[in-house]
Amino acid sequence: MTQPSIQLEGITLHFPKQRNIFGIVTDFFRKKERKFTALSGIDLEIQQGEVIGIIGRNGSGKSTLLRVISGIYPPDEGTVLAAGDISLLAGLGTGFSAHQTGRENALLYGSILGHNEEEMLAKLDEIIEFSELGSFIDEPLRTYSAGMKARLGLAVASAIKPNILLIDEVLGVGDPNFREKSKKKILDMVKGASTVVIVSHSFGLMTDICDRVVLLDHGKIVTQGDPQDSIKAYYDLER
Amino acid sequence: MEETGGAAPILRRIGTKSNPMFAPLHTLTEVRKNRFLVRNLVRREVRGRYRNAALGYAWTVIEPALLASVYWFLFIMLSGNPDKMYAVWVLLGVIVWGCFSKSLNAATNSLSGNVRTMHLVYFPRSIFPVSGVGANMVVTLMSSLIILPIIYLYDLPITIHLFWVPMGILLAGFMALGFGMMMAPLNCVQRDVQHLIRFITRAGFFVSPVMWTAEMALERGAWGEAALWNPMVLPITMVRHGLEGKVVDLPSAVILSSVVTAIVIYVVGTIVFSKYERGAVKYL
Repeated sequence: MTQPSIQLEGITLHFPKQRNIFGIVTDFFRKKERKFTALSGIDLEIQQGEVIGIIGRNGSGKSTLLRVISGIYPPDEGTVLAAGDISLLAGLGTGFSAHQTGRENALLYGSILGHNEEEMLAKLDEIIEFSELGSFIDEPLRTYSAGMKARLGLAVASAIKPNILLIDEVLGVGDPNFREKSKKKILDMVKGASTVVIVSHSFGLMTDICDRVVLLDHGKIVTQGDPQDSIKAYYDLER
Repeated sequence: MEETGGAAPILRRIGTKSNPMFAPLHTLTEVRKNRFLVRNLVRREVRGRYRNAALGYAWTVIEPALLASVYWFLFIMLSGNPDKMYAVWVLLGVIVWGCFSKSLNAATNSLSGNVRTMHLVYFPRSIFPVSGVGANMVVTLMSSLIILPIIYLYDLPITIHLFWVPMGILLAGFMALGFGMMMAPLNCVQRDVQHLIRFITRAGFFVSPVMWTAEMALERGAWGEAALWNPMVLPITMVRHGLEGKVVDLPSAVILSSVVTAIVIYVVGTIVFSKYERGAVKYL
């Protein structure tokens, strides 16, 4: 029997607009606050073992939705329920410090992603090997090329084994060789996690690995279901 | 968070918080649980600050020493000949006050300055102000090593009371943490807060015993006594008296009120932080 892994019920999220003193005064007299609605009334249930894709144009709320699931943004209305530990994979190498060595940065990034010291030390050799950095691992990060940083980032990020994996456009970094390897690694992670939500613009990949694709537009779910159908609906969206 | 304890993970609500009233204790547990992260963030900050400098960490000592010499010169010009320890008192004042003001600025900007990290990963947000203050504590404790040559030069006794030197620094950082945590979510909403805090840390320099000491204030009658109610008098005087080899020698009402103030600031700060930090992130 399937069990729900993520349940979103009526998620609505507004972003407040930055105001200067005039804005504050006029809003006070108009008795309303100007805001931007990023998500409105999202209902979504994801079963354990499912791989879900989210597509939509820029600014349609895809990344925001992942952030709501991972707890970064509290929704203004509705509830988020999730089973197990969640890990958001976005922007590889968050918090890297240019003045520390690759090894130190691996520990730093690992701790930012929520590992404790024992876990990180146990995984460090594996991470260094996967990153293919060789002796560069003990050089400061400012001597690295962009591809090398991405490799280190992915090596650390892929060492996590969460129940729920949220992926936000982290595919396609580094040189072609490594890109293949990283794609394979991410697919391995997708297989290893019980539930996966992917935000991506590479529709080929989505059709390959997703059981279901959700199309978002202006913060609302337009359609969801078979990947092919959702992608077709994406192209049918009014320009 | 409800735990039913089965093999399969159970649905739980994301983004629930424990009651903000427990925040003062909850913050401590969060820091303890994430101590590896805090340590790494502090290291990143300290390393970054003294990067590519030939003198490196020596700047932790050189900077306050240079500052103190300027104030010492200024004071001699204004008021004539103070006692021989005066230069030392100014130096310690500069170090402790610097610890407070830098920690306060770091904590206030800890959310607004870490937007990228906050948008990409979730961990307890109290880690940001704590590690910001922590980095400044580490730097200040390094600069306080300057008391070793001072002890030698001025032939001061080495006593158990030297223990009060780091305690005073910790107290200053603790106050900055509480106050900064109160301000950090506000600063996300309106950046006016950071300008205000910068002003407070500049003006506070003069009303705190940096260029003057508690003893000087007591000689000046009512105004001087009023100045002692500043909560920063206690940490700075603690460090000075500790170096002299005695327990902090202030009116007990002043000591009590500073300690109470520090605790109240921490309690209110953590409560405010935990209540508003979630909403504040949306302003970034």
